[in-house]
Amino acid sequence: MSNPTTPVIEDRTPPPGTRAGRSRGYAADVWYQFRRRRLSMAALTFVVGLTIVAILSPAIVGTKPVICRYRGQIYFPALGYFHDRWENAVFKTRDKFRGVYPKNLTTKDPQSWAVWPLVYQDPYRRVRANEWKDQPANPSGDQGVPSQYNLFGTNQAGIDVFAQMIHGTRVALLVGLFSTGISAIIGVVVGSLAGYFRGWVDVVLSRCIEVVMSIPALVLILALISIFEKTSIWHVMGVLGLTGWTGIARLTRGEFLRLREMDFVVGARAVGASGLRIMFSHILPNATAPILVPVSFGIASAILVESALSFLGFGPPPPNPSWGTVLNAGRSNLQMWWLIVFPGSAIFLTVLAYNLIGEGLQEATDPRLRNNEK
Amino acid sequence: MKTAYWIGVGLCVISLWGGCNRNADPPVTDAGLVSEPVTPATTSPPPTKSTDAASTDAEKSVEVSSAPAAKPQFQLGDMLDPFEAPPLAELDAQANWIDRPVSDGIERLRERQANESTFDTVEKALSIRNDSEESNRLICAALGRLPAHESDVDPNAKLVRHTYIDMKSTNPLMQSSVIEQEIAGMTSFGLFSFDWNFQPFASADSVRSWQSSADRMYDKVVMRDDLTWSDGHPITAHDVEFSFKAIMSKAVPALAVRHGTDKIKWVHAYDDHTLVFFHKEPLATNDWNIFFSSIPKHVYEKSIADDPKMQVSDYHVRLENSPVVGGPYRIASRTFAKDVILEARPDYYMHQGKQVRRAPRFQQIRFLIMTDSSVALLAVKRGDIDEFILQPQQWQSQTKDADFYEKCTKAFGVEWVNFHFLWNCKTPYFSDKRVRQAMSYAFDHEELLKTLLYGLYQPCNGMFHHASAWCPPNAAPSYQQNLDRAEELLQQAGWSDSDGDGVLDKQIDGKLIKFEFTVNCADAAERVAICNLLRESLDQIGVKCNVRPLEFTVLTERGTTHAFEAMFAGLGTGTDPDTSDNIFGTGQDRNYGQYSNPEVDRLFAEGRREFDPEKRRVLYQKIHQLTYDDQPFTWLYYRNSYYAFNKDLRGFVFSPRGPYSYSPGIDSLWKPALH
Amino acid sequence: MVNYLIRRLLIGCLTLVAITAIIYALIRSMPGSPLTLQMAEVDPSKAISEQDFQQMRRMYGLHKPIHEAYLGWLGSLCRGELGRSISRKQPVTKLIAERIGPTLALSVSSLILTYLLAVPMGLYSVVRSNRPEERCLATGLYMLYSLPSYVAALLLLVLFAVRLRGTAFELPLFGMVSDGHAQLSWWGKLADIAWHMVLPVTCYTYGALAFMARFVKSNMEEVIRQDYIRTARAKGVGSFGVIVVHAFRNTLIPFVTELGLTLPGLLSGSVILEQIFTWPGIGRLFFESIAERDYPTIMGLTLMFSLMTLVFQLLADILYAVVDPRVTFQ
Repeated sequence: MSNPTTPVIEDRTPPPGTRAGRSRGYAADVWYQFRRRRLSMAALTFVVGLTIVAILSPAIVGTKPVICRYRGQIYFPALGYFHDRWENAVFKTRDKFRGVYPKNLTTKDPQSWAVWPLVYQDPYRRVRANEWKDQPANPSGDQGVPSQYNLFGTNQAGIDVFAQMIHGTRVALLVGLFSTGISAIIGVVVGSLAGYFRGWVDVVLSRCIEVVMSIPALVLILALISIFEKTSIWHVMGVLGLTGWTGIARLTRGEFLRLREMDFVVGARAVGASGLRIMFSHILPNATAPILVPVSFGIASAILVESALSFLGFGPPPPNPSWGTVLNAGRSNLQMWWLIVFPGSAIFLTVLAYNLIGEGLQEATDPRLRNNEK
Repeated sequence: MKTAYWIGVGLCVISLWGGCNRNADPPVTDAGLVSEPVTPATTSPPPTKSTDAASTDAEKSVEVSSAPAAKPQFQLGDMLDPFEAPPLAELDAQANWIDRPVSDGIERLRERQANESTFDTVEKALSIRNDSEESNRLICAALGRLPAHESDVDPNAKLVRHTYIDMKSTNPLMQSSVIEQEIAGMTSFGLFSFDWNFQPFASADSVRSWQSSADRMYDKVVMRDDLTWSDGHPITAHDVEFSFKAIMSKAVPALAVRHGTDKIKWVHAYDDHTLVFFHKEPLATNDWNIFFSSIPKHVYEKSIADDPKMQVSDYHVRLENSPVVGGPYRIASRTFAKDVILEARPDYYMHQGKQVRRAPRFQQIRFLIMTDSSVALLAVKRGDIDEFILQPQQWQSQTKDADFYEKCTKAFGVEWVNFHFLWNCKTPYFSDKRVRQAMSYAFDHEELLKTLLYGLYQPCNGMFHHASAWCPPNAAPSYQQNLDRAEELLQQAGWSDSDGDGVLDKQIDGKLIKFEFTVNCADAAERVAICNLLRESLDQIGVKCNVRPLEFTVLTERGTTHAFEAMFAGLGTGTDPDTSDNIFGTGQDRNYGQYSNPEVDRLFAEGRREFDPEKRRVLYQKIHQLTYDDQPFTWLYYRNSYYAFNKDLRGFVFSPRGPYSYSPGIDSLWKPALH
Repeated sequence: MVNYLIRRLLIGCLTLVAITAIIYALIRSMPGSPLTLQMAEVDPSKAISEQDFQQMRRMYGLHKPIHEAYLGWLGSLCRGELGRSISRKQPVTKLIAERIGPTLALSVSSLILTYLLAVPMGLYSVVRSNRPEERCLATGLYMLYSLPSYVAALLLLVLFAVRLRGTAFELPLFGMVSDGHAQLSWWGKLADIAWHMVLPVTCYTYGALAFMARFVKSNMEEVIRQDYIRTARAKGVGSFGVIVVHAFRNTLIPFVTELGLTLPGLLSGSVILEQIFTWPGIGRLFFESIAERDYPTIMGLTLMFSLMTLVFQLLADILYAVVDPRVTFQ
């Protein structure tokens, strides 16, 4: 007999073969759909792998020990690759290691031990003879063919390309995200406001877009580089981001102009949704298609842009191990094929990966694409 | 709403129009109407807010006397103090003329080569590869010879040269880049020249006699009477006088050629062929001031007043495209971004039917403009270009195979262009000479010379090249890296790592200053790599160095305004050691690093006045010694000349100024006649 | 419509003034000066004295404050003059006129070629989506995209201008015209220029293919799943008709936007490719005049570029209304 105080619970067991429970929510749903596409997942794994390589780069290749114990204390000299000050002064001014760790550690403190990176090479300088066991000095000029000690060869100054590529991954990953991120955010916001509200908002914002678009990017970049004292790659990419949002803005605006007339928007308005809510929850997910392409190309092309700027003489100053600088070193001597092939392949794989992720995102966010039916 | 909107727009447009037409005077940003002369801004108030140098008397009188709408008259030679030239007879009486050499670069070279050995035959030189000092000597000696007989020369030969930049002006007074200097050398009329030992002489092609007064205040030149401009008019001394006055006119932008010429007091043409140069002071450097090119007076004298820039009026634009020249070649055509073609002028060497001068060796010289060095090298290998400057990397790896040696060979010679780090002596870092010496000890010179420069360049140990007369015979050798010594010197100078952060510091005026500075350089990859090596070397002793590549114009500006801490730059050699005064003298224009040593200044001043070559040499040797000790520069290396030459080319001879910037220079090149 | 046009044009003038003012302020704020002598490094006797330098500055009006100089430039612009280049000593209009033709020849040809190739490739990718052949095509296009243009240009030059010299496949090494160009017939001249254009146009185009093909595909993916497409297919319209006639036209808004965004780029050329191919175009002029701080030339070029951008954006906005009847003008 049922207890009258027990609430009656409907039988919510779903029939066999259907999905159970509440809806996941937009983001989780997208992720679920994305996970089902094998190629896009492979691409995402690649990018995650690159991120791990970037984080662990001093442990993969470097001339400074990852961990060492010296004179009773534990140090992490390899962190000096991330930031100068993280390499303890003990090795620099006090005990005068002169940048060469292996011999100095053992001679100055026989009790010391160290965990070394997998490959002993440096992205900033040429490794000399007898620094590390019986590793010879890096060849220079055009002699730096890929070899057992220089996996990807060396450039004309004798700096190891493998080290530059690995340490350059940091820059390669972040630079594109940084500049394209800025462009995308500004572009989407401006474009959607202009496209949705129209009227004088559109006039003013369109004029802003035109002003920024009509300023030749080259002038702006060169002017900003020479006016500001700082010319690190982040500043250059920041400038690129601040000048490159106009394309995305116009594309977004076009999409919003088109979509705002559609029925679902009318419906949302009828229900009482506010303008911003309609824009970002209803229209924007449908407007992503044309935006994803410039964004996914933009992330990868930032490296090519950096290389082009180096060609023109406006590249970031050293030390700057990046794929773009390796590529630029190879252009004056095409016979040194390793300077082109390795960064070129890396850029190619990155372009491929980001585009596959973009494609995957597009298909995951668009319900019509899900079942691959045509 | 709408009407208000339109009214607002209309008002904006009108106000803009009004604002624009406020400045209805003649050009301010050079947006000039074609026939208007250049004016200083007569409508603006007197320059109380400008930072210009004090205006000279001429400029003041112009501003005071002109009404707001009137244009000030152009005055030829308004930078000169008025001077009455004494009659020639008077001058001849008091001057005690000494004869000076009148000679010919080619003859001098021929004499020199008569005493030199060729080591081997031309065939051998063409068949070997230039991969050692020995082979280079063979190639230079065998292929660099002047022709034994005139019949050996191909009279219809064409020469194709390479240039990275286009020519901006054909007027020899307006030279501003290397290509214009070279073309002016071939097309313009000049009186003097100098050889590979920097000995000046009057050119026998233009001058009959050259004499200097005993006190060196006057130079008298008697020109030849068989000289003609390309439009048929004879070249006279009046042309030279006119050119001098044109250079010394404020409104004429003859920037590069004015340097040196402005030290002459006056130039007077007594008749069609007799010229006297009047100098301000009796200096040993007076010889070098009289080297300037001439433009034809009859062509420019009337038009220069209307258009002192010589580039704006229609008449001058026509002249720019086909100028009237006095040299062996004339400008046949200029195609922008493509080439400049010079052709030999028969009326240069023929006068009234007879040959009076040596004919130029080439019928046509063509300058191909190619901005990319890799593509230009491809053109050289194909045989499209006959001579080309090789970058170190190209010499080392791209010109050693059969595909290069099929049509070309290569050669190098010592050139006295040195590269150095320049320290700003007024910064807290580099004011102490021990710190500057420490920098020189810290730098890894060997890595630079052997690796970055492929072993191609020689080390530099001071102001003057060790082969020049002005370098002391037992000069100290160039610095070698010695990090311990560097640290010792820094410690003596008061720098140490007191706060234990890995960077040296020092207490100056109560503040703790870190030894962190920026080194500027031009934005070429090789230079950036050298500065990177400095950064790496200094990193090992706790000094933080940031590399900043800059555009050339910004680099120069920072230098002239002393707004830098260190920079990497190059310096060619002047023909006279006194040109270095501009660089090392206290407060001089090109003393970017603000180096100051009163003893050096005194020696320079003395050297100018010393006529005895031996005594003079000793003075400059002392200067070399003093500057070596003070290390205002960290001298790094001499950039030699590395050239690729087509196998058809002969007669190239290297000098401390490269193969062309001296006499005979380009004139010694020739191509053999095919038999 | 006419109202809209007039309004846009007037506002466009104001925008132009704003743009040129910003650029002028920017380039005048850059350190450096047009009076720096290039040769001073090699020959120390050819230095310019401080006095001369200041005097030259006055002569070229460089001592004036920025706003005054800008208004002066604007004033002479209203009178129809773009001024005279400081370093090249020629009128700016002449400099631009000489160089705009070659740049347009390259960029317009490359634009047409890109669209001709990329649109069919994009449509093909949509139809054969996720099949191996489409994946191969996409991968191939990405490889092309990843190869920087200056490397490809040099490789192609080595192959066609050096290795294949003397054969029927030879292509020229540099320049826009051959040496004997002036003597050729009208038809011969055209053929000569076309022969010189092959490699530069190839280099201009191959990188853009990946982007455009992906762009077209991405836009089509969404459209092709609409109901009206299913209806069209059900009605029996052939594949070609469905894709091109029904589907593609619905992607025209972003397409037009993209076109409007690339058209201004036609005028600016590519600095790097013009340098490598020794092409007498405007990109190189732009770059050099910035390096030389040649203010009149930079302003002239900026004006031209901005004007064209505004015109093309206006065209794109008008085309929106043409292409999609739902978009109206206020």
